[in-house]
Amino acid sequence: MKRHLMGVVAAGLTVALGVSGCGKGSSSGGDSDGKTIKFVAAIYDDNTKPYWDALIKDFEAKNSGYKVNLEMVDWTQMDAKVKTYVQTKQVPDILNYNAFSDFARDGLIYKASEVLSPATLGDFTPTFVQQAQYNGTQYGLPFISSARLLFYNKDLFKKAGITDPPATWAEVKSGAEKVKKAGAIGYGLPLGPEESQAEFYSWAMNNGGGWVDASGKWAINQKANIDTLTFLKDLNKSGLTQPNPETTDRKTVFNQFAQGKVGMAIGGPFTKAGFIDPVNKDLNFGVAPLPSKSGSEHNTLGVMDVLAAFKKDDGKNKEAIKKFLDFFYQKENTSKFLTTEGFLPVTKSAGDALSADPYMKQFVDALPTSKFAPTSNPAWSAVAGAVKQDLGTAAANEDPKKVLDKIQETAEKAG
Amino acid sequence: MQDLKAKERGAVTSPAPRPSLAQRIGRALTPLLWLGPALVLITVVVLWPVIEMVRTSLQKISSSGVTLGYRGGGNYTDLFGEDDLIPVVLRTLLWVGGIVIVTMVLSLALGQLLNARFPGRRVVRWAVIVPWAASVLMTALIWKWMLDNYSGIVNRVLLDLHLIDKPVNWLAHPTQAMFWMMWVAVFVSLPFTSFVILAGLQTIPGDVYEAARVDGAGHVRTYFGITLPLLRPAILIASIINVINVFNSFPIIWAMTGGGPGHKTDTTTTYMYKLAFYDQNVGESGAMAVVNFILILVMVLLYLRAARWREEVR
Repeated sequence: MKRHLMGVVAAGLTVALGVSGCGKGSSSGGDSDGKTIKFVAAIYDDNTKPYWDALIKDFEAKNSGYKVNLEMVDWTQMDAKVKTYVQTKQVPDILNYNAFSDFARDGLIYKASEVLSPATLGDFTPTFVQQAQYNGTQYGLPFISSARLLFYNKDLFKKAGITDPPATWAEVKSGAEKVKKAGAIGYGLPLGPEESQAEFYSWAMNNGGGWVDASGKWAINQKANIDTLTFLKDLNKSGLTQPNPETTDRKTVFNQFAQGKVGMAIGGPFTKAGFIDPVNKDLNFGVAPLPSKSGSEHNTLGVMDVLAAFKKDDGKNKEAIKKFLDFFYQKENTSKFLTTEGFLPVTKSAGDALSADPYMKQFVDALPTSKFAPTSNPAWSAVAGAVKQDLGTAAANEDPKKVLDKIQETAEKAG
Repeated sequence: MQDLKAKERGAVTSPAPRPSLAQRIGRALTPLLWLGPALVLITVVVLWPVIEMVRTSLQKISSSGVTLGYRGGGNYTDLFGEDDLIPVVLRTLLWVGGIVIVTMVLSLALGQLLNARFPGRRVVRWAVIVPWAASVLMTALIWKWMLDNYSGIVNRVLLDLHLIDKPVNWLAHPTQAMFWMMWVAVFVSLPFTSFVILAGLQTIPGDVYEAARVDGAGHVRTYFGITLPLLRPAILIASIINVINVFNSFPIIWAMTGGGPGHKTDTTTTYMYKLAFYDQNVGESGAMAVVNFILILVMVLLYLRAARWREEVR
């Protein structure tokens, strides 16, 4: 009887330990030998895990005694996972993520100079170094980048009697009208919660708008942005976009584009391999600069993902992190990742390797004129979240100014 | 353990009529040995998370996840200042009320059917269990695709029947989306509820019905006069569990509309998630969790009062 009782008590305690995360599985302890690191990588597609597995095997073979524990996390789980890591003090040594500035603000991560050799540091393209700074110091380690351009369906354009891709907003509208008459969707507008911040910024920056003003203060409800959103709303209300842009995600738009049912849409270098090829390899499409309101300048949206190295065990992990990162940033290793995943380089050395592909070259060439979201501001994640939830409603029934005012309010509250 | 030993020693060596202090303490603590494990379990799996939830709602948590100390009622002030809160709460009440009422009515009918004797009854009973065994998320995703604007089967069928003349983007319009999601929620709640009702029906002894027949009661009279009153405990349990389940139901809404467009199909549960992971405000999300918790408690207590549950306990 007594043994039975002890069993129940033991079971209860096990549950208690399991729930509070103090179990054996915890890896946060200070017992690290400084040679084993945990790397949390994001899943970009099915090729990501095999790539890292091979790279780590290679790294461990060349650096005996060092070990890398890999954990793959899906992008949809990433935010929740990262918050849990931080809150339960079980941060990985290296994290592959799309934000770093709030970690830097909270003193959780190393400066780039602490975990990279000078040679690697000097190889980053300056545009990305600038994006990876918090308060003037580089914390983020640029990982991959991407740029957005206008995709158009050449067959539909021919059928509609359009010769050149549109350069101005007026041409976008008239082009969309002609494509619609030819029996397809004029412009595919994804303003659903997946990535509306990217779609909107791609238009706003080509009207002189953006997230912040010249002094770096939030300027989300500025006039240029209201005009941009009003233009997009007008496209929707004139029936030139697919129905309900406010709930449409990018993958739906590009699925339709690949099927030849959409005239124009904004995509990135990954669009061909990730969205078009799986559906229709023979699609006759072209890529052009993003149209602007006036037609005189054409800005490109740039996107950058980063690696962040977390402080742990009084810096005991620094050396192992440095070894692994310097290994990854070697030209052949980085460019292999980029070609498998369809992203753009962040280092000069890998850039040259990629320009041989004519499709990729268009995007590599667009990088120098690219504009980025203010990711170095710790409040950006909250702003992007608010944009994802609400911006699309302005393309449907809400008043663009009111929606942007509300997001501005969120931005100011977040800091 | 020591107290137990002391007690044993006391029982053997000193047959004194007055128990010593140690003995009395020992005796008072003995029940704790038996209750202890259960208490530990309740504390760990019930009380502790609740305390942690309340604690989170009072803290300032940075967007990276670092706790920056106490914030008092600040998270609550923020939450009650949100324009979206009231519509979300009202929608949640509609969501819970609508689903639970429809589920209960359908389950009463279904339970009756399953209780009747007919050939192939066993197969039908198994068939009713299926939606319960399937993952809710999967069911919701399947419905999302069936309702798809471009390739969904619902639009196809309605177009072929000439009920609509062009595809409808069902999930993009708040009212229609709510209707469809509530339908899916009813669909997945039905099996459990019907089986609780069925179990209830089977506890009703046959002689009650015999007596009613002898007294000349018709079918309707028998149902409302005997079956329904005797089913009260089953209905009570089924509806309370449903209220709590439906209140906290996340996967259906998240998979089908994500609470959008905007916040127009959010319930408190999805809204809570968005506060934490879109607005990066874990503290305010914790406050929403506490409010949600209180809402459920109040609803259940009100319901129990309305159903005069004390009479059932007796």
